[in-house]
Order: sequence, then C-alpha cells, then structure tokens
Amino acid sequence: MSDYVIETCGLTKKYGEQNCVSDLSIHVRKGRIYGLLGRNGAGKTTTMRMLLGLTPPSSGNVKIFGRPLRGSEKSILPRIGSLIESPGFYPNLTGTENLQIFAGLRGLKSPQYIKNALEVVNLPYRDKKLFSQYSLGMKQRLAIALAVMHNPELLILDEPINGLDPIGIAEMRDFIRELCNATGKTILISSHILSEISLLADDIGIIDHGVLLEEESLEELEAKNGKYLRFTVSNALMAANLLQTRLGIYNVEVDNANELTVRDLRLDTGEAVRLFVDAGLYVSDAHLYEDTLEDYFKQVTGGEGIA
Amino acid sequence: MLKLLRCEFAKLRRKPLFFGAAAVSALIPLGCALFLPDFREFTSGAQAVEGMMSTLFQMSAYLLLMPALVVLAANLLFEEQDNDTLKSLLTVPVSKSALAAAKMALLFLFSVAFMAVGGLVILAIVTAAGWEPVGFWRLFLVGIGEGIMMWAGALPCILLVVLLNRSYIVSVIVTFFYTSVNYIFGASDYFIMQPFGFNPGTLLPGPLAFRWFFQYLDASDSSAQVAELLNRISPYFVTAPQAFFVVIIESAVFLFFIALVYKRQRC
Repeated sequence: MSDYVIETCGLTKKYGEQNCVSDLSIHVRKGRIYGLLGRNGAGKTTTMRMLLGLTPPSSGNVKIFGRPLRGSEKSILPRIGSLIESPGFYPNLTGTENLQIFAGLRGLKSPQYIKNALEVVNLPYRDKKLFSQYSLGMKQRLAIALAVMHNPELLILDEPINGLDPIGIAEMRDFIRELCNATGKTILISSHILSEISLLADDIGIIDHGVLLEEESLEELEAKNGKYLRFTVSNALMAANLLQTRLGIYNVEVDNANELTVRDLRLDTGEAVRLFVDAGLYVSDAHLYEDTLEDYFKQVTGGEGIA
Repeated sequence: MLKLLRCEFAKLRRKPLFFGAAAVSALIPLGCALFLPDFREFTSGAQAVEGMMSTLFQMSAYLLLMPALVVLAANLLFEEQDNDTLKSLLTVPVSKSALAAAKMALLFLFSVAFMAVGGLVILAIVTAAGWEPVGFWRLFLVGIGEGIMMWAGALPCILLVVLLNRSYIVSVIVTFFYTSVNYIFGASDYFIMQPFGFNPGTLLPGPLAFRWFFQYLDASDSSAQVAELLNRISPYFVTAPQAFFVVIIESAVFLFFIALVYKRQRC
C-alpha cells in the first residue's frame, strides 16, 4: 500500500498545442500539508482540477488513497473536501441554505454538520444574509465551510486565503494547521504567496510553467537554503585579503567597496571582527543571513520572486 | 435522484421568475372569469366548466406554459454555470446527466402543477358562482395530461436552448418562434387532420395535444362553430395510449440529447 494520499504520474494537460501542465508527478503524504507553490498561471489550479476529476488529463494518471481516480470517483470524491478557484454558491440563498443543499446531496442528515462547519469559519448559523450580500472574505469562509462540512480525510484547497483580511489569513492558517495536527487530515494547498506556504506547509512543490521543479519537505529545503555572513566595513577589499591570508577563508565575495559576503561558515564572526578592528578597519555591521523560500523560488524558477 | 430533485426545489427559494410563472397559472383563469364577457353568458355549471377548461387547454397551456417551461429550463440549466456551482456539485460527486435529469423532472412537476392549479382555480370560480362543477374532474385529469404533453413538447426547444448555450436573447427568440409555431400548427387543419403515424400531425406537440384533448370536450353544449370543428376532426383524434406512447418516446429521445449536451458543458 502506498504511503501517499495523492500520487500523480506524468500528469499532463494540453489545451490545443499549449502545455498547461507537463509531466507532473507529485506525492502528497498522509497527515501532511503539501504546499503547491507557483506564480499565477503556473498550472496549480489545472493540477487541482485534474486531481478532482473536473478536468480530464491529456495523459498521465492520478492515484488518490492508493487507487486510480478514474473509474473510482464515486468512492474517492466523497472522502475529499475541496475549494477550487472562486467560491461558487447560489446567490438567492443564505449561507446556511447553501450548505443545506450540499449536505442534502452528501447525505448528511444532522444539522450539526452545518453548524460545526460554519462555527469553524466564524460564520453564523441560520443567518438571514443572502450569499449575494456576502463580502469576498465571507464567501471564502463559506467555501472552506463547505469543504470541511463532511469531515473529509483529504482537503484540496486552491488559494484558500484569497480575499481574507490579515486577521482572517492568520485564523485560516491556524485552522488549517489545527485540522492537520488534531485530526490528521491530509491537506494539499496551493498559493502564490510564498510566506503563507512557508508558514503552513510540511512539504513543498514548486511549479512553474506547468512543470514541477522541486518537491521536498520544508526541512530539506531549509537545509538546502544557503547561509552566509555579510560584513559592512570601511574597506571590503582589505577585509577580504585579511580573511584569506590570516584565516585561510577563501570563499569570499567582495560585493562593493564596503560590503563582502563570506559563504564559508567555518569562519567565527567574533574572530573576523577582531581581525578587522586590529587591522584598523571600521566594522559597522556583521550579520548571518539565510536564504528565504523566496530566494530559493527565484533560484529554481530562474526568475523574479513572487508576492 | 430524489435527493437531487429535493435540492432543485431548495434552489428555487426567492426566485421571482419561478414564482411569477407559477402565479400566472392561477391568474389567467381568474382574469378570464372576471374580465371576458363570454364567462358571464354561461347558463349551467357544465357549460362553465367546459368553457373555462377549454381556455386553460388552449390558451394557458400553449401560450403560457410552454414558453414558461423553456425560460425556466434555461434558468435552471445555466444557473450552475452562472453561479460557478457546477464544480462543487461534481466533486460531491453528482453526475451532469443526473443533474440535468433532476432539472427536467422539476419542470415536469411544474408543468403538472401549473395545469392542476389552473384547473383548481376554475373549480373555485365555478363553485363560487353557485354552479355545480359537472364534468370537472374528467377535464381536470385531461388538463394534467396536457401538462405532461406540454412538458414533452417543450423538450426540443429546451435542447435547442442548451445547444445555444447562454445566449438568452436567441433563446427567447427561439422560444417565441417555437411557441407560435406549435400554437398555429395546433389549430391548423393541415396538421390536425392527419392519421396517427409518422407525420408532423403526430410528431409535433401542438397538433398532437390538440388531437388528444379536444375529444374530451362536450359538443352538445358548444357553439355551432365548435361543434362543426369537433365533427370535422373527430376521425383524426388520437387515443390516450397513442398520444402518451408518442410523448414517452419523444421525451426519452430529447432527454437523452439534453443530458448529452449538458454533459459537455464546462465547469
């Protein structure tokens, strides 16, 4: 039995001649939060749509809970909660009435399912406000309520924090984390917001132009992230010479007249500062830096960072 | 299927279009009774029942129910696309074919209810006027049958509207054209004076419904003109089994195509 809740193999989606998703193979482990990170238009939503059977793949296959999705939709989909793109509900109905429709279709007889779902997203039960009068944030919350209402084992959430205010974003983050930690749910979440993914995900997949560039755990990524020392001194060239000749540190880059970067972390910062001061240099800053996920994203996508 | 149908009813809340269409079924007989001079000339309950039910069969059914069915169908079939709810339904999972079938079943019930309400309003008017509603229940059942025929008759137009996908203006034009054609053909000697068989008089819903319900109207109390018409077309009447055989076959074919086209819609 596979350890993966979601496993895709060579998943490809073509629209005409254009490849929207190419040969994508992702692996989502049970009880983990998998963050699918990519720019707008990178293929995140198309991937999620294929995982839910909303869009047929051009080639490749999807396995969910260890079984091929194709042909097993009726047994697999009820175990999944999802939010894809913008939240879609009936505008002439209230939030509760909207959830009642889907609860009816899912065979959830007790109103407690709806009450609980609304409670976790801080929306009132049996409120008279129609969905058409909801703010974007409220619509997003209702969509999350719909996704979790039937207590699914797997959640597929496409940009779930879209439209939420900063407090709402923090609440949603805590809620998603809690779902994973307390109930052991597996969550696949997509976002173009790096900070959110880095705060939430256990495993990260970086997708760009429909291609999965990296797939690693956050710990592995952090271990890969470059660390370096940066000094701001009165004469960077002289400081670099001192490091090479006196301390044998050769991995030194002179960035400009006053700044130098040392990637060899055998160097003791205090020792280096004392060396510079003894040589008559003025040291205004010494700082240990670590590459962020954004830096890593830039590195692997070979382009600009995203939000 | 029952769950889907229940949900379709739940989605109708606060939909003025649906309730407006439903209200028309009651208002037309009321309006005719209050404002048309013919209705003040009835001399017996049987005549009143006959005259008013005949209006329900020929006016309400052809000119209101059929276009209302197509407009409501367009509203029902496109609401998932318009509100972006199809993706949520498909991940339940609900099949598009089952969804389309549930929507058509809702229209079927609407059609039957439309004719039933119209008939019951007539019963109330006749009773309130102090007449005994002689022969009412037989014509009431004919009205229900005609409601089913109008529903089946609306299906080809609904298929066309689904094929046109979202183009409401074209849909309205098609609906208007289709309704007019059915009404005209239903009153045209060429179409209603054809034997039962593979011909337009049997296959088109307008003439078929006319050739079926008209035999249930009583000629003894009718005007000379209606009596002459009855006499002329009576050899071409179709029996209830014949009429409903055609209705069942046509419904099955058009429901299949509606489900097929609806299935191809993107979510």
